[in-house]
Amino acid sequence: MEEGKAHPPEGVFAHLEMLEARAHEAAVKQAAAEQQKEQLARLEARVQELRQRRDELQAKVELQEQGQREQEGVVSDPAQHSAQTVLEWKIRKVKSTLQVFYLTGISGKLSKHGVCFCISTAYEGIYLDSYYLDLLTEPQVRIHRHSVPIFIPMEQIAKKYLQTDIRRFLSVLSDHLNAYVGRRYQADQLQEHFSDRLEGTMQRNSLCNLLVFNYNPSSKSETFPFNARLLYGDLCCSLPTEVVISCAPDAPAALAEMAAAHSDLFRRLALHKAFGSFGSAGEHVDGAR
Amino acid sequence: MDETVAEYIRRTVLKIPRDEIKTMLQKWGFLSEAQLQTINFHQMKDNISQDVVQLCEENSASIKQAAVLDIIYNHSYPNKRIWSVYQMNKTEEETDFFDLTDFRKKFKRQLRSTLKNVTINFREYENNAVWIRIAWGTPYTKPNQYKTSYVVYHSQTPYAFISLSVLKSNLPLLCQALVVASNYQDIHEMELRSHSLNSLEDMVFKRYSQNFETYCPRPLQESTVAQETAGLRIVQEDINEKERILRVNREAFGDGPQPKLEFAEYKLETMFTSDPKLEVLDKKEPFRCMVRFHSPHLLESLKSLAPAGMADAPLSPLLTCIPHKARNYFKIREKKGLFPGSFVSP
Repeated sequence: MEEGKAHPPEGVFAHLEMLEARAHEAAVKQAAAEQQKEQLARLEARVQELRQRRDELQAKVELQEQGQREQEGVVSDPAQHSAQTVLEWKIRKVKSTLQVFYLTGISGKLSKHGVCFCISTAYEGIYLDSYYLDLLTEPQVRIHRHSVPIFIPMEQIAKKYLQTDIRRFLSVLSDHLNAYVGRRYQADQLQEHFSDRLEGTMQRNSLCNLLVFNYNPSSKSETFPFNARLLYGDLCCSLPTEVVISCAPDAPAALAEMAAAHSDLFRRLALHKAFGSFGSAGEHVDGAR
Repeated sequence: MDETVAEYIRRTVLKIPRDEIKTMLQKWGFLSEAQLQTINFHQMKDNISQDVVQLCEENSASIKQAAVLDIIYNHSYPNKRIWSVYQMNKTEEETDFFDLTDFRKKFKRQLRSTLKNVTINFREYENNAVWIRIAWGTPYTKPNQYKTSYVVYHSQTPYAFISLSVLKSNLPLLCQALVVASNYQDIHEMELRSHSLNSLEDMVFKRYSQNFETYCPRPLQESTVAQETAGLRIVQEDINEKERILRVNREAFGDGPQPKLEFAEYKLETMFTSDPKLEVLDKKEPFRCMVRFHSPHLLESLKSLAPAGMADAPLSPLLTCIPHKARNYFKIREKKGLFPGSFVSP
């Protein structure tokens, strides 16, 4: 019989066998997949069942606890509701009071071992940086940690006032910090908004208490730029105590007068405001020539 | 142009990574834009540096300009040097009006009065920092441009950051010049060293984020990320302990990024305390041992120890005090009192 199934019939049978094997495999796989699906469905149902039971038990527990609370004479629901609103109102009020204290510039909070103060600085209505002081009160008042810049003479101020009058210490320190951020703000504003008037780089320092720069008094580029040297002698003040404005010796007399006028202006007005004001004055002088 | 200057410029350009060469030359400002356009910045660095040297020849560069290029390179890559922190003191309490021109004059005059053969260059940066580059010579030889020290000084502060990298014998000259120029009286080295100049500055100027208790409405960083992914079906039994650890860790280290230090060294000199009957040691001498912690970022790794479960929270104050005390070298000796170990300032 096998000889009868020579080349073509053998090929056909082999092919049929292969197809049969494939079909068998597929059937097995399908059965396995169906089994898995069934198992999954069963497990999901069980999960749902357990969840339901858990929720029921949780509800029972809550009910019992509530029952216990009522037994102990706790206020019943409607009153509890209004007590809650009162508490919320009180919390909001306290928060806004604290916010007000923060906005005044000096605020504090009692900490584990002392007090933590926050000095927030501002200049011309703009809030700038905040600085923190962590004070210890036992055995004496002393500074534990702080975020005050190193060039502010805090050690000196502390030596004078910390032990005897904390309020004065904080007030003096706050003055120093506010004046410093004010001076820094003016110098930054000048560099940002009037860079076209400045010639070369502006020389400044960490405390911003000495500024040296060259500038053009009018918007057109002058052949005689002014050199300004602003010295801020009082560290608690954001206006300079000494202003020296010089221009080249061969400059016309009108410019020398303008230099004197500018010197006065810098002593009275904030730096960027002074620059803003003589923008138009400079043109006026040119027009008058 | 001097041969040595040309070679120095060539070697400095070779140090710069190829992608940064153009920006750095622009910052330098010695070669015009037109000249920079003629250089092909995609060729090999060797060829780029040759082109740059040729252009510098045309502009007749002197050692001063070459030194400025070196300062710019070191300012961009300060972490290649190791920096020490020095603290200065003065008794007088007058306000200092730091005048930059005055400072430079005094520094140069003081240093040159003791050693004539030095090259001194200054460059000021936006954050009130003055970078000083000094190339050292000897009383009989010209300054060696490859033996340089750097000083970074912020005006009106008592701290200076020095990267010496040469013979220690030059250090007293440098310190004296600094003290005179900045109107202080004396100077001493602090126990603080690192490659990261910015981190050293952050630590002594208290610019890193410290955790202060206030009522101020600051945006809190939520640390409850871990709970989101778990879902409703997983309950963490030890959630209280985990929260306690996070809270204590936060109090010790604060919220923000930590200053970058590479090592902390603790030298121990304490007596061995044991049952006197055991008589382990014949002589009553203190034990000497040294523990050194190394890490690419020491403080961040210390901060993550407790949350990772590798150490108990709170961590030893010897570790957490590093930024606050601004030191990473400690000597622990016997305290004549209750505790067996304590800090002793040098």
